[in-house]
Amino acid sequence: MNTGKTSYTDLLSANNYIRQLSDTTYWLCITRTVQESKLFPMNPYMLLSYLNSFYRLPTLLREIDAATPAEELGDRAREVSLKVDTVNAAWGMPSFYLIGREMLMNWNLIGPGDAVDDVVDVLDFSRRFNLAYHRNDGHVTNKEFGDRSQFLPERTLQVFESDLHGVTPGDRLHTAATKLVAQLSQYAFLAHCECRIGLHNSGPYNFGDNRQLVVRDFFDLTEGDYPWLDGIATQLPFANLTIPIVFKDTNFHLMDDWASFEAEPSYDAANIAAVGMYTSDALTDGYVPVGMENAETLAETMEQYREILNEATADLWKRIAGWSREQMIDAGALVYSSVGKDFAHLAGTYRQDDWFQIDERVQRFKPLMNDEYGRDNLGEMVGLLGFPHQKTNEYSMARYSGLNQNMLTGIPYAVLTDDDFAPTAGDRLSGSSSLEPKTGLWTTSAGRLEIDDYNRRAREFRPEVLTEPYRYLDEEWVKRQYPTSRADELYRLTQRGSRTLEGRGAGLRRADLPSTPAGG
Amino acid sequence: MSDSAVTPPKWGTTEMLPLPSRFNSAVRERAARNFEATGAAWKDVVFDREFDLFSLDDARAVEQEALDSGYRFDFSATVSLESEPDKYKRPERAAAGFADGAVTDGRRQVGVGDNVIRKSETVTGPVALISKVEQVMSLLADGVPPGTIAVIDDSGGTLTAPIIEGFAGVICLGGSVRSHLGILAREYDVPTLMNCRIDALQDGDVVEIEVTAAPPAADAYETGDTGHARIWTIESGN
Repeated sequence: MNTGKTSYTDLLSANNYIRQLSDTTYWLCITRTVQESKLFPMNPYMLLSYLNSFYRLPTLLREIDAATPAEELGDRAREVSLKVDTVNAAWGMPSFYLIGREMLMNWNLIGPGDAVDDVVDVLDFSRRFNLAYHRNDGHVTNKEFGDRSQFLPERTLQVFESDLHGVTPGDRLHTAATKLVAQLSQYAFLAHCECRIGLHNSGPYNFGDNRQLVVRDFFDLTEGDYPWLDGIATQLPFANLTIPIVFKDTNFHLMDDWASFEAEPSYDAANIAAVGMYTSDALTDGYVPVGMENAETLAETMEQYREILNEATADLWKRIAGWSREQMIDAGALVYSSVGKDFAHLAGTYRQDDWFQIDERVQRFKPLMNDEYGRDNLGEMVGLLGFPHQKTNEYSMARYSGLNQNMLTGIPYAVLTDDDFAPTAGDRLSGSSSLEPKTGLWTTSAGRLEIDDYNRRAREFRPEVLTEPYRYLDEEWVKRQYPTSRADELYRLTQRGSRTLEGRGAGLRRADLPSTPAGG
Repeated sequence: MSDSAVTPPKWGTTEMLPLPSRFNSAVRERAARNFEATGAAWKDVVFDREFDLFSLDDARAVEQEALDSGYRFDFSATVSLESEPDKYKRPERAAAGFADGAVTDGRRQVGVGDNVIRKSETVTGPVALISKVEQVMSLLADGVPPGTIAVIDDSGGTLTAPIIEGFAGVICLGGSVRSHLGILAREYDVPTLMNCRIDALQDGDVVEIEVTAAPPAADAYETGDTGHARIWTIESGN
């Protein structure tokens, strides 16, 4: 019998969300790329990560939601670049959870009604987060928006447009920025065990004059949650870097839910017209400029960071090259199953063992996870949709394939009346890891902290734009209230630290902004 | 017993690929047998007694049954083959069948691939075949010889992470222009062909890669319209 917790409308909403994620994930899997690595047993670790998400995520999200509701976390993610972003939180977290459910269902180790309360809670959390995260563009996913991502408000974009430094190919800053972005991409793939979730792209935003802005983010660059980054890149003062880049004559026609882009003509560094650098994390009140005083300082800072990360790439690669197969699998699985971990940092509920252990219920499946089974079971599940239970009635035609199959399975409404199912996987979290335990500190914008200190500061902190009376002042409000002092106050909060717009308020339009050299 | 958990689905039969079909069927059979042995209601077993439903020993038995039948797995990561050589097939690479082509202008075509970044000139250099951690470690210590074109059978970005910037070009035997290695090639501006099919090359063979070719169209991997960038060996004595 239903516990009474889940209603018919809860199920309608959850099943709608499952179908959206199912269609989008299928499209991403068949059109975007092949997941492969000669260094990491990637497919085996991905399968284990999905199972780890299934068993652990509901319990962890309930604690986080009680401390800071999901919609408030979405508000936080909308203001700056946080690792709970498009690929990690908006798409990955609920999808990995649901894919783990598919695996267990296919093995007949759970039925479609089992864990119904968990499924509904995870999807409800995700939907509330996504609605708030995408509040400014009004969509739930990038796919729903036509593969576009525009979550930043005008007040932030105006600061970017005014403060970014213009570049031309071959000048010092252009070279430094191009090389740093390449190094960051390389390092982020390595630090994340070959997955792309350390990189994030959003936009494009129209910067006028045939220019578009893409915001490029790189996360978890030094000591923090990943135990294997202890002692790595410790000269880097920040764990996260954001590099907004303005391109000329380039149309970014696709920004997908994996936060990767396609452009016409294709991405070419020669078309970069302006760049900047910022950092943000759970303790920053807005984006914090990094080396933005002038173009020379920015170039010098980027060159210095590139040196640090170049050395860190070699150091980390040597460390990882010495790992056993099980250590590589555990690390990769934990990277994937911890995509929601920064929710815990924002809420101040982070505990290392919550996110960096393979659950004991998952450990039992390890003998199945040879490379071929990993590759083919993943392909069967997300590409061929060949699990017997993924087939639907013979009259049905799925969104992208036109075939009678869906990647993700809905919850049967009969759970509202039937009684032979278990509504939750439970809240017992016990697990282990073959990796060296974490001993280092956490790198934050407030310095290197012990985790208890980090959690305490996070619990006590809230960005000012999200406090009363500013939280609900969106651009529909700004549209008519921009001459008011309250609108000026809102904009001035975001303009703090801006080299060119500090204190300028809400009345500016593009023509009023100090032009960048590239802007002409 | 819960019908919804163990009754075969109405519209599906079995997996299409051999190993998922074999393993998943074996797990389903064991789960059904173990559940029946509990004599309990499904809701009391599914999470409260889940190790009775399927245990670590069950998983080991599923793998062992396959190995005992003579099945050996394909490997993807070199660490898998090296750590458990008895479980995996040794790698074999089929020739692509270009070797019979004619020598024209001192060049013989030996392969095709997908160009990542369109350049104004082709790139020529000696190849280095890289597939192992030890090779990367050695190049990391000694440096990549100038002009080297790497032949990499890994479309991931991590195996060659510390050295990729040093290559004059890359021939990748897998992936697509959207793979992680393709992304990094674009960021580092390293002339690169992905998804290549080539005849056997030896370390030191001098090749020319047609990085002047147009990159694949956005829908190329759906339509199959790929492989337009050519790879030639430079024939000695010409």
